[in-house]
Amino acid sequence: MFIEYSEEQTMLHDSADKYLRENYSFENRQATVKQSRGFSAEQWQMFADLGWLGMTFEEEAGGFGGGALETMILCEQFGKYLVLEPYLESVVLVGGLISVGAQPAIKEHYLSGLMAGELQGALAYLEEGNVANPHYVETKAEVTGDGYVLNGSKAVVLNGPEADMFLVSARVGDSSIDAKEGISLFVVDKSRQGLHCNNYKTYDGRSACELQLDNVALNADALVGEIGNASAMAAPIFSRAIVAVCAEAVGAMDALLEATVDYTKQRKQFGQSISSFQVLRHRMVDMYMEIELTRSLLMATAWKLDNGSEDAEQCVAALKAKVGKAGRYVSHNAIQLHGGIGTTDEFSVGHYFKRLAAIGVMFGSRDSHLSRYMQA
Amino acid sequence: MTDNVFREEVRAFLEESLTPDISRAGELMTSVFADFDATMKWHRILHAKGWIAPDWPEEYGGTGWTLNQRYIFQEECKLANAPAFPAMGLQMLGPMLMHHGTAEQKDYYLPRILSGEDMWCQGYSEPGAGSDLASLITSAVRDGDDYLINGSKIWTSYAQHSNMIFCLVRTSKEGRPQAGISFILVDMATEGLKVEPIVGLDGTVEQCQVFFDNVRVPAVNLLGAENQGWDVAKSLLEFERGGHNFTIDHKKQMAKISKQAASQQDADNRLWQDNPVFSSKLADVAVDALALEFTELRVKGAFEAGGNAGALSSLTKVMGTEIGQRFNELSVEIMGEHALVKQLDAIQPGYEGDSIGPDCGLTTMAEYINNRASTIYGGSAEIQRDIIAKRVLRL
Repeated sequence: MFIEYSEEQTMLHDSADKYLRENYSFENRQATVKQSRGFSAEQWQMFADLGWLGMTFEEEAGGFGGGALETMILCEQFGKYLVLEPYLESVVLVGGLISVGAQPAIKEHYLSGLMAGELQGALAYLEEGNVANPHYVETKAEVTGDGYVLNGSKAVVLNGPEADMFLVSARVGDSSIDAKEGISLFVVDKSRQGLHCNNYKTYDGRSACELQLDNVALNADALVGEIGNASAMAAPIFSRAIVAVCAEAVGAMDALLEATVDYTKQRKQFGQSISSFQVLRHRMVDMYMEIELTRSLLMATAWKLDNGSEDAEQCVAALKAKVGKAGRYVSHNAIQLHGGIGTTDEFSVGHYFKRLAAIGVMFGSRDSHLSRYMQA
Repeated sequence: MTDNVFREEVRAFLEESLTPDISRAGELMTSVFADFDATMKWHRILHAKGWIAPDWPEEYGGTGWTLNQRYIFQEECKLANAPAFPAMGLQMLGPMLMHHGTAEQKDYYLPRILSGEDMWCQGYSEPGAGSDLASLITSAVRDGDDYLINGSKIWTSYAQHSNMIFCLVRTSKEGRPQAGISFILVDMATEGLKVEPIVGLDGTVEQCQVFFDNVRVPAVNLLGAENQGWDVAKSLLEFERGGHNFTIDHKKQMAKISKQAASQQDADNRLWQDNPVFSSKLADVAVDALALEFTELRVKGAFEAGGNAGALSSLTKVMGTEIGQRFNELSVEIMGEHALVKQLDAIQPGYEGDSIGPDCGLTTMAEYINNRASTIYGGSAEIQRDIIAKRVLRL
């Protein structure tokens, strides 16, 4: 430590920034949000063609072998341009889990589909009983002669309406409903009988669903990883996902600060730019400092995950807690300093705010990660 | 040599040379300064070893260590409770002499800083010139080969222990206020110079006011040209900001609080470490301290790559001091009424009598009180924010 980027990493950063700056305007994004799909199939295909969707998969599987740092670099740009496409859901979560646990034929099929941009996935792991605990799983998987039968329901399945396939967590055997052990993960194609989706939009302009499983029959090869061991298998993927959303948050906060600085310079009241008022200047400096502290933690955490550092998991908890605090501070003050215009749907600032609010509640709140940090 | 081997070498040296009476002074520090006599004793030991100025270039008496080794040395010293050295000579004037001094000035003053023969203090602030330093009015008027200095300097840390003072003085009233300032080195034994101590909130003296009444100083004592003093001082201020490593201080504070929270009980007879409200507050500060640690590593990385982390240095000064103050507040909450006991004798390193209350709380209130100054000195938190607003955000 500290991190120096490789030539490839610098190129990834620069090309992602350039492509999105030229091809991902806020106006187009808002038009996309209003369409039924909620994201652009053309953009998704471009992401595949640019090699972004395969960036973090192993080379044997046809990917580029990138790690947490590459995930961070891409997602930071996604955050900066408020990208809607479900990279987190399809690639980081579903792709990541398939990559570490699926049986060879299944893995080959889904990974090539995901990387080519032909497939969408969604991770169905939360339940209404306790969304704060990913180990709270009432959904049952019954072992049959040649496979499994799933029954239960899943809550807030992000990207569910767009997914061609789900990864569903379910309990096999008699472990208690919130035990860390005893959870298994299954690939479930959307076409399976007994699946019911109740689709809706989320406040950050994306889509999700509540998923009902009634006697969904699966073949034996639908199991991802070992039976009853999904929690352990998924832990590093969730760490990667936390880096992804936190990088997105840093990109979004950068964009908010830049917009706020520009706006306060232009906006005149009392005969002068409001950026000349010290109370506003210091507020923006505090926003800047929160962002830079978060960025340091983000870079260190990604680096530590890639290098297998002992304290990497503790840093993940610290990072998510810090993003919870900084994301609120920066987005609240961005709206405050923009005044009325910041509260409108028409203007970009509020949409960054809503994405940061979404990131704040995903994968554990600030408080849950603070307590995780102290326990480590 | 690998960093680990180097660390072992430093540890072995500290084990042997940092005697208990000296490390007790480090342990009992309640501000950036340790007990003066113990500090000077430690200064002479490090000077004899050749390790007194690791940050200096080798030609001037530095150690030739890598940045990483310097960091390790600093860290090991602090964790072993070595007293910290006043920054004025070693960290502030030294580098400025190297950059702006004449050959004679360097040859004369630098070795005396290394040996501890000269103890320097900094004469910048005045009663009427604090954050707006350029409005200073202490004057130096040319009189033959000398200057005659009149005026007063305040918040002069450790002036009572110093024999030399470097000052910003007004040599011209023409043009911008910054353009008429000169940087001059003054022997404090000169006639007309008087030092008045200022008692701080914790009951000790760290600050002074220094009065100049027709103090006659040879013109060769100018550092840099006449009226160029502001530029000399500006680079010095930047050095002062970048030069401090807050993470090591925070780690020490965290270790102290952990010890307190593992031994002291709350209103429900729980150890404080098991109090959820306290724990969440501590976690919040600890996470910010961790984020600052990585930010300091970014600054260090930028220096190593030959660049300059400019703006991030202001950030680390603001956040480093504010995080330190939050740790102080948490310590006071744990220690409760114990923190009230004012026992200045018991926090002297040589003290052999009994102290009142738990040992882990001896310095708590003094540290809390004293550290309020950290967001004021060296460019206040507000001035630092002004700097970031202007230089980084281009506001």
